[in-house]
Amino acid sequence: MTCPVNGPRAISEFAYGGEIRPMPDPTTCSDDAWADYVFNRNGSPGVKREWWCHTPSNTWFVAERDTARDVIVRTYLYAGDS
Amino acid sequence: MRLPPQSGEWIDRSQPLNFRFEGRAYTGFEGDTVASALWASGVSMLGHSFKYHRPRGILSAANHDVNALMQAGGTPNVRADATPLEAGMALTAVNTFGTLERDAGRFLGGFARFLPVGFYYKAFHSKRLFPLWERMFRAMTGLGRVGFATPRLRTPKRYGFCDVLVVGGGPSGLNAALAAAEQGADVVLVDEHARLGGSTHGASDLVDQVTAHPRIRVFTDTFAAGYYADHWVPLVERDRITKMRARAVVVAAGAYEQPAVFRNNDLPGIMFATAAQRLIRRYAVRPAQRVVVLAANADAYRALEAFIDAGIEVAAVIDLRDDVPADQQSVLAALRIPLHTGHCIVEALPANDGKRVAAVRVAAVGAPAPATNITCDGVFMSVGWAPAAPLLYQAGTKMRYDDGVHQFVPDTLPDGVFACGRVNGIHTPAARLLDGERAGSAAAAHCGFGTMKAISVPAEMESPTHPWPIVSHPKGKNFIDFDEDLQLADLENAIQEGFDNIELMKRYSTVGMGPSQGKHSNMNALRVLARATGSTPGEVGTTTARPFFHPVPMSHLAGRGFTPERRTPMHALHTAAGAVWMPAGVWQRPEYYAIAGQSRSKCIEGEAMAVRSGVGLIDVGTLGKLEIRGPQAAEFLERVYISKYAGLKVGMTRYAVMCDESGVVIDDGVVARLADDHFYFTTTTSGAALIYRELSRWNTLWKLDCGIVNLTGAMAAMNLAGPKARAVLAGLTDVDLSFPYLAVREGTVAGVPARLMRVGFVGEWGVEIHVPAEHGAAVWDALMAAGQAHGIRPFGVEAQRLLRLEKGHLIIGQDTDGLTTPGEAALDWAVKMDKPFFVGQRSLQAIAGKPRRQQLVGFMLPAGHAGDAPKECHLVIDNGDIAGRVTSIAWSPSLSRHIGLAYVQSGMAAVGNTLTIRLSDGSLVTAEVVKTPFYDPDNLRQKETT
Amino acid sequence: MSAIAFENVSRTPRAGVKGPGAAAWIAALDLPVPRAPNSWLPLPGGLIARLGLTEFLVEGSEAAKLAAPLSPGVYPVLRQDTALVLHGARLNELLLETCSVDFRALNLSTRPVVLTSMAGVGVTVIPGEGGGMPCCRIWCDSTYGEWFVETLTGVAGELEQPGHPCNQGVTA
Repeated sequence: MTCPVNGPRAISEFAYGGEIRPMPDPTTCSDDAWADYVFNRNGSPGVKREWWCHTPSNTWFVAERDTARDVIVRTYLYAGDS
Repeated sequence: MRLPPQSGEWIDRSQPLNFRFEGRAYTGFEGDTVASALWASGVSMLGHSFKYHRPRGILSAANHDVNALMQAGGTPNVRADATPLEAGMALTAVNTFGTLERDAGRFLGGFARFLPVGFYYKAFHSKRLFPLWERMFRAMTGLGRVGFATPRLRTPKRYGFCDVLVVGGGPSGLNAALAAAEQGADVVLVDEHARLGGSTHGASDLVDQVTAHPRIRVFTDTFAAGYYADHWVPLVERDRITKMRARAVVVAAGAYEQPAVFRNNDLPGIMFATAAQRLIRRYAVRPAQRVVVLAANADAYRALEAFIDAGIEVAAVIDLRDDVPADQQSVLAALRIPLHTGHCIVEALPANDGKRVAAVRVAAVGAPAPATNITCDGVFMSVGWAPAAPLLYQAGTKMRYDDGVHQFVPDTLPDGVFACGRVNGIHTPAARLLDGERAGSAAAAHCGFGTMKAISVPAEMESPTHPWPIVSHPKGKNFIDFDEDLQLADLENAIQEGFDNIELMKRYSTVGMGPSQGKHSNMNALRVLARATGSTPGEVGTTTARPFFHPVPMSHLAGRGFTPERRTPMHALHTAAGAVWMPAGVWQRPEYYAIAGQSRSKCIEGEAMAVRSGVGLIDVGTLGKLEIRGPQAAEFLERVYISKYAGLKVGMTRYAVMCDESGVVIDDGVVARLADDHFYFTTTTSGAALIYRELSRWNTLWKLDCGIVNLTGAMAAMNLAGPKARAVLAGLTDVDLSFPYLAVREGTVAGVPARLMRVGFVGEWGVEIHVPAEHGAAVWDALMAAGQAHGIRPFGVEAQRLLRLEKGHLIIGQDTDGLTTPGEAALDWAVKMDKPFFVGQRSLQAIAGKPRRQQLVGFMLPAGHAGDAPKECHLVIDNGDIAGRVTSIAWSPSLSRHIGLAYVQSGMAAVGNTLTIRLSDGSLVTAEVVKTPFYDPDNLRQKETT
Repeated sequence: MSAIAFENVSRTPRAGVKGPGAAAWIAALDLPVPRAPNSWLPLPGGLIARLGLTEFLVEGSEAAKLAAPLSPGVYPVLRQDTALVLHGARLNELLLETCSVDFRALNLSTRPVVLTSMAGVGVTVIPGEGGGMPCCRIWCDSTYGEWFVETLTGVAGELEQPGHPCNQGVTA
């Protein structure tokens, strides 16, 4: 995987942080919607936006990964949407 | 027998080597394999087959000769055709009962009709008799003995890097390597043999060019074990593994020659034409005196001259094809060798002792009678090829069956993966060179070196592979898989029984599941299945090929494992003080300090009592230590912890509990406020790295104006505790030690800048002292020295666990699990639901209305309890059902009672309630629910400030 | 003569700082600021390394300058490293056995800094050349330091053995 700051590295230098999923507004959402956010994950194959961390440098970034083809499409620093 | 010196031979005749096989002495040369040395000495029976114990010899001489597996002393799995001969080797055949000569198992062939395909699924199902059968099978099967006294070996592992990795040093691989290197790429070329050249056996201009090229690194005696993601290929050498990362891979691995299937095609002396050529060219061994060549391609005719030159009498060429191209026929005419086109071998006839071929019966294809006998002591088969494609399959290549060359060829190659030569369906010598150049150029261009050359490779004019080199025979023993002793009828029967899909047929019949993994059997099996089901090989498909390509020694896979260990700066001091070490995650911590003549539990008890009555010192440097600064530092802590910190006064600390988004407790520690915008906080030992990483992620998302620094390794920390602790510390610090309980002060200890926090974890007046790591040892020494007069004792993890238990303090991960919410762990008081947001808040809100499943309570066993006490994880039983479990328990010397913490169903949590706990032997113990802390319930000792 | 020489320079003064304001703050202290992330500059008696985008390590006598009053967005990083300098003919082989970064592909003239994992331990590495031989500086957390030095010394020792594959004339 290519860390946006440190460049291409063996996958063993990285930790997976889960798919980037928008948090529902806890003050307004139902218990069911909240439980869905906490416990359910998207299992279908396709391109996903995920949190990844380059552990030796503690660099968190976003990876777009095609889980059907097992290909990393691109990586970039988180810019603040989601 | 040994031939006169051959040009470019691989043996060194100046270095004879003596060795033994089956107790007899033989001589070979440096450079021989075990098989070539034996064959040169006239030994043609090298082993017995797996099921029927039939004599077997050399088939491929290409590392597929599983029937020539041998045992060398304590080393099993010696592949005779691929293992270099060494002086003094003492080899025995495997899979024999008795010796090779007098193998009692050879009578098994007579029981063949009782051992059809899949027989073990159908017999041996009597439960009563199965143990007998199992013992019998264990004795009968298995190929070799494991030496239990084998030393534990490991070999070096290392990484490697290149632009283009070329697998296979035959003509196409050599040309690929050159083409890539010429375009500027850094090339690594690997070949499993001792020399490059493939079927040219070593010497050639091409080989010289490659070895001389400055940008080509050559690994011989090395095989590519598999293809892993992103062009990562482990290269297995004799003495180590190189984990090669390439930017492009060219697979020039060639093809495996395929056997013809006819009755008794397994007799010693019957081998591939390439095996015969290897014996002649590399080892100067004449494979046989008088041979019949079974042909179906141009390769057979190209090899004839080599056979003649080696003094072999070629009695006849039997060609499966009706039409043999004129240029091939003319070779025979010139050599005056009889040619029988459209003919096949229906049966090989053994010599009197059954250990070698003596003649073959030849007939027209499809018409087994009339047949003629031709005497011979060898048969060279040259009927076809199957691509050595495992690496391509593992890389995700889509293969298709090509009817022109009757083999699978790459159809769609993944990015950065290239194929050339025989594995790519190109067999004509000139075309193989062109194909290699094309692939090497394309690979280099893929890496950004030059542009891909436009090379058109001429199509094959004829098929090098016969689509059906198989002859049925009513008496069978026409073998498809030599490893597994599978005959044609076995596969036909499996298909008839309904295992008519390639995956099912493979698993039911075990074809291709032997040590050579189907290299010489999968293709024929596939053809049989296609014909039996009326489909084509392309429709039948292949099973996948998994790593490793050849067996890999365990020593290579073990390598040197890296299991890092963390030690605090006071490590050596603890060792000097008699510490008994225990791992705590990646850390080493003193479990307790050993005192001569005292048992472990006595030492631990002594340490705990020292803290209660005097003073003790413990190294808590393994705790996570984080620092957060900035205008929104407090806001950040408010969001990640369940309690409130915005209003925490400067100079005070507060217990801190962290939950995950589901409301489960994941960590605890202490937050100290050093300034409005500056906090120093601790985490559990095992949580530190993960918590720091996760907090970093939260702030990447939230972008609050603050920064977090991980000081876990940069700070040493120790806890001085006990009624005399203050006296010990007073002389060493400039801090006024009357500062309140739970406060934090900055100052110096033993002249070193320090942070002091009054904490209550062990329930005595205590201070946690944090200093930069480089001063840790000096401060520890100073405290121990100052404490001598007060009887100070260092105490370890076990004493600390006991002391904290006496106070009812929980340990995350021991007294909580993966589902524990704060309320269950008696931490309701710490949850501040009126904060605007904290991680886990919404989940706690969702469960607030629900009945609580369980509750953590303190319990005691009766005073004077005799007999065994429960252990952690023993169950609380109510009415015969599980109603909870013990999480912590210990004998409290301060209270002279067994105390503990346990989860119990909410209805059973009332103080005074009786609990029943079940021990491992099923006996039941009574306990009483009590309030915590057990010791000093009002916490007066840790709070005192005089 | 050992194949790889180890020099333990843990006691050399050093200091660290990080944050969005760190680069400007360092410049204001009259220290040169490496422009590219993961690069370094020499200082009198030491060096300054930029670790990633916004963290800096200063080593040598100049490190004392980092005791200056902080500015917003500037967070001090207490450095208590185990610091080593390694050099020798077999250094590249040692790196190949312990680290999956291709050091030989780096362009030393750009003065790269590499944050990676070596023998399972997080490290900061500055590769270099000295006296015609490869050399490198390595920093790691000092609580890993003892184990790390023991392990690297062990690997280096193996590389010296005549039986080791790298001494068999096998091309690397």
